[in-house]
Amino acid sequence: MTCAEQSSGAPLLALHGIGKQFPGVRALDAVDLDLYGGEVHMLVGENGAGKSSLIKILYGAYRADSGRILHQGAPVEVRSPADARRLGIAVIFQEFSLVPFLDIAQNLFLGREPRGRIPGTIDRARLHADARRVLRLLGVDYDTRRLVHTLGVAQQQMVEIAKALSQNARTLVMDEPTAALSENECEHLFKVIRQLKAEGVAIAYISHRLREVFELGDRITVLRDGRLVKTLLPADTNPDELVELMVGRRIDASYAREYCGRPGEVALEVKDLATDTGIKGVDLVVRAGEIVGLSGLVGAGRSEVARAIFGADMPTRGEVRLFGARVAGGPGEARRHGVALIPENRKREGLALILSLRDNLLLAALFRLFPRTWFDSARATRVAQEMIERLRIATPSAARLVRYLSGGNQQKAVLGKWLNAGCRFFILDEPTRGIDVGAKAEIFALIDGLVKQGAAVLMISSELSEIVHVCDRAYVMREGRIAGELGRDSLSEANILRLAMHEA
Amino acid sequence: MRVARGNLLESTREAFARLGGRLAAVILIFVVLGLASDVFLTQNNLLNVLRQAALLFLIASGLTLVILTAGLDLSVGANLGMSACLAASVLKATGSPFLGVLTGVASGLATGLANGLLVTALRIPPFIATYGMLWVLHGLSYYYMAGDTIYGFPPGFREIGSGYLFGLPVPIYLMFVFLAIGWLFLERTTWGQEVYAVGANPVAARLSGVPVRRRLVLVYTVSGGMAGLAALVYLARLNSAEADIGEPLLLPAIAAVLIGGASLFGGVGTLGGTLIGALILTLVLNGMNLLEVNANWQPLVTGAMVLIGVLLDMWTRRRAEEKS
Amino acid sequence: MHHRVHELARRLAALPGVAYILVLQAIVFGSVAQGFLSPLNLTNIGTQATILLMLALPMTLVILTEGLDISMGAVLTLCSVVLAWVLVHGGGIGLALAASAAMGLAFGVANGTLVSYLGMPPFVATLGTLGMAQGLALAITDGQSIVGISAQIAFMRADVLGIPLVLIIAFVAYFFVHALLYYTRFGTYVFAIGGNREALALAGVHARAWHAGVYVFAGLMVGITGLLLVARTNSGHPTAAFGMEFDAIAAVAVGGTSFERGEGWLFGTLLGVLAVGVMRNGLNVAGVSSSLQVVAIGLLVIAALLIDALRRRA
Repeated sequence: MTCAEQSSGAPLLALHGIGKQFPGVRALDAVDLDLYGGEVHMLVGENGAGKSSLIKILYGAYRADSGRILHQGAPVEVRSPADARRLGIAVIFQEFSLVPFLDIAQNLFLGREPRGRIPGTIDRARLHADARRVLRLLGVDYDTRRLVHTLGVAQQQMVEIAKALSQNARTLVMDEPTAALSENECEHLFKVIRQLKAEGVAIAYISHRLREVFELGDRITVLRDGRLVKTLLPADTNPDELVELMVGRRIDASYAREYCGRPGEVALEVKDLATDTGIKGVDLVVRAGEIVGLSGLVGAGRSEVARAIFGADMPTRGEVRLFGARVAGGPGEARRHGVALIPENRKREGLALILSLRDNLLLAALFRLFPRTWFDSARATRVAQEMIERLRIATPSAARLVRYLSGGNQQKAVLGKWLNAGCRFFILDEPTRGIDVGAKAEIFALIDGLVKQGAAVLMISSELSEIVHVCDRAYVMREGRIAGELGRDSLSEANILRLAMHEA
Repeated sequence: MRVARGNLLESTREAFARLGGRLAAVILIFVVLGLASDVFLTQNNLLNVLRQAALLFLIASGLTLVILTAGLDLSVGANLGMSACLAASVLKATGSPFLGVLTGVASGLATGLANGLLVTALRIPPFIATYGMLWVLHGLSYYYMAGDTIYGFPPGFREIGSGYLFGLPVPIYLMFVFLAIGWLFLERTTWGQEVYAVGANPVAARLSGVPVRRRLVLVYTVSGGMAGLAALVYLARLNSAEADIGEPLLLPAIAAVLIGGASLFGGVGTLGGTLIGALILTLVLNGMNLLEVNANWQPLVTGAMVLIGVLLDMWTRRRAEEKS
Repeated sequence: MHHRVHELARRLAALPGVAYILVLQAIVFGSVAQGFLSPLNLTNIGTQATILLMLALPMTLVILTEGLDISMGAVLTLCSVVLAWVLVHGGGIGLALAASAAMGLAFGVANGTLVSYLGMPPFVATLGTLGMAQGLALAITDGQSIVGISAQIAFMRADVLGIPLVLIIAFVAYFFVHALLYYTRFGTYVFAIGGNREALALAGVHARAWHAGVYVFAGLMVGITGLLLVARTNSGHPTAAFGMEFDAIAAVAVGGTSFERGEGWLFGTLLGVLAVGVMRNGLNVAGVSSSLQVVAIGLLVIAALLIDALRRRA
């Protein structure tokens, strides 16, 4: 049975030819999506395929640059979340929309409280009665007077769903709803979803867990590189085929590497690392002269591992050895051992935007360059200038405030900061995010140069092609653990994705 | 040495450029007051103004360091009061200026250290911690003094506040000395660079290996120490000590720092700016006195200047953000 | 019903025991100081705590929105001065009260605008208005107390059905604010502004107006409290309520309301006010000077904040 044959009537909500452009990046390109009442439509694709952007357009957080949205066949504009609500579209957020110290009923009807007789007051009896009624629709009987912060994650999610239903949502959008749930809670959620299906609600569901894609989905749409690859029925496909469809992005060969071959001393050794930020026992080894990738889906724990290694977060268990020495301190200690962290969010964690380029470039090197605390401004400017030339940072002068530099140059500044500190092991977290192609190539060339001189690199990236073309080998993380390690020969996008997703 | 001098010239030039607007304001106020009042341009009055500004600068300089880290020290006034009272007792009891000075500075430093620990070890937000400290010191001073006044200090000690050196009041020399020390600290030591970084982006600073907590303790301790030092100058000038002598200095100190261009959000500001801010504030208040405006309006004007200073800072930041 | 009781029990257990503190204080002061537990003294505590309660109630709302209003003491002083001034210049009590309320309201509007519409950090904004209120109070009184109004203000000392009028006023105020916080949209939004502002935006509510409203309400209550202050001191004194906001903040913090996340309860504030009031009264009766009392309260706040921090870590 093809897709066309299964659908009974017109879709409740249809997106045609949706396009969305951000500066320098085409997030979506002529994507179609049909949501039918009574169906769960699964959206799958690797990181950055466009799933988030698509649903943001659905519920009015973004506006599409091109294409149309049809509601029950009629064209509509969704310019804001309020518009989406009016069309009966509701999103299930995990954290954004509940007030912790209000009770369930107050949260359900926030902004729509039933009025009491005196103007401004709330009819509390009716508030709770309405709340109980909505919860019962979901087969749930929490005490509506409980404050939301006392609920577990799964229960809060139920409240979110109840909130959506109470607004007469006919289309629900869910983004990885089972990420934080236990097995039992998942089962309960699926039961509720099936019930909603039976009532004719259309559900758009983003998931990385292939098991639930096939268990719960009635229709599957695969996105890749912002484009629609294919829409299929679960019965017509299998997990392997899905993975093959998801990978295969355009390769940017300008940064393919040549491999040096023999890795040197062990720069990093991690044993059984666990933290309360979600890491559940990780082992890693990185040697000088190699680039090791750390891959996995968003939320798998890659950045958390990087932070724990660097000492930004304290591990609860396990040991970290930098160049053979056991470390258990903060970033200062890591730096002293020659380790650098180039964070994912360079503006918030890597740079002081209101300070000059010179000050930023010197920030990690102060102790090394000026061990007796006396700060020689002229020398500092010289050192900064040399680094600017070496990295070819485009700026009129070293005194320019870093906030005015482009993304690529800002990233170079972060790298320069650590190069000045004399580091030998670099942890790079999404080093090329938000950077144009030209700068990307430069940065990879720099990293390549460093590695040739004997540095060690651990690189986190959500772009599979980057991992495959730049790294010597890669670890793949899944839900706080290492799902597997891929050597030179087995390093392929499909293999990475298979390990990263929930597949046997 | 040539290089160092060259740098001094450079940074002075830079400072002039940045503070140009405020310098212009100083000159403007000068002209206006000179025209409006006959008494203004007399030597007596001008020296008075400079002395007042110097005292204000002493207390505001330590506060500047704290504000550079995006913090606030609301206890500086009460700290000054407490330190002054303690120093006064020691001076009366021992007759030794040296011991008096030691007590004053030690008391200021101790309070500053306590503030620093409250903020870093107990993670109490700076304004709440120093606000609580304000009241604790207030209570302790009042209890300690029990409504009395201590007066009559050894003449050697009094030189600090009321004495003259080559025709200029001593506090002005102190002001220049600490301006220089402060400048050296902020511009010529790694600690100073780290202080700016902590204020500009504490997260990035930490992730760059800067010992953020240690630097915070440092700035709060210095702020307390300067309050203690200012207490001595004040004591020497007034020749008496009461429990509440520090209270009216909090708002003007904050005003001076903010008018001088420092940002409450951290990472922006200079001691030179604070000096000019202290000058501007002192001139305005002096002008009000000379024009016989009721002294009771002064807290109002100071409060208004604080608000204007913050609004200006917020407006500047918003403009800079839009440009980037 | 069950869960409300659970909530209450959980709260009482989780606190260092504002209730425990009170009981402890009762025991300590009762045994150490003569006459502490006498009905006269207890009524005394009650009447003296009313002004603090009138300040702590709106302060609870402000703190729930993750803000702070340190201008309350100065504005209260100013309002009491204005009220006394009107009385002395021949105005009736009604006009005087209206003037006091209007002054409080004006400062409330100023604070609300600075914090909510201009985005200033609440602490700095109210520090600025504190200075301005102080200045105004000094300017109006020229540093002297305004006296000669005892006759006009005497009615406040009356008892109604054996209970002092001021106590009745305080309880009415408590119940009003309780209803405001728990039975109106305004109250719901107060929790939301502190707990999750985005939720309000997503629900289509204009948070700014409600946020400003919290400060406006605080200003109004402070204005009304001017009457109680004048009644207590029989005059309009330019530094009468200096520092009272500190006691109010202490009472709110000790009562279990957190400075972040919109976590708190009004009844806790009532207990906190009692705790602070009992502390002051007990120390008074035991002969401890008022300056040291402030120190004690300062330490109490630090202790409360510490416990807040420890509780969060647990």
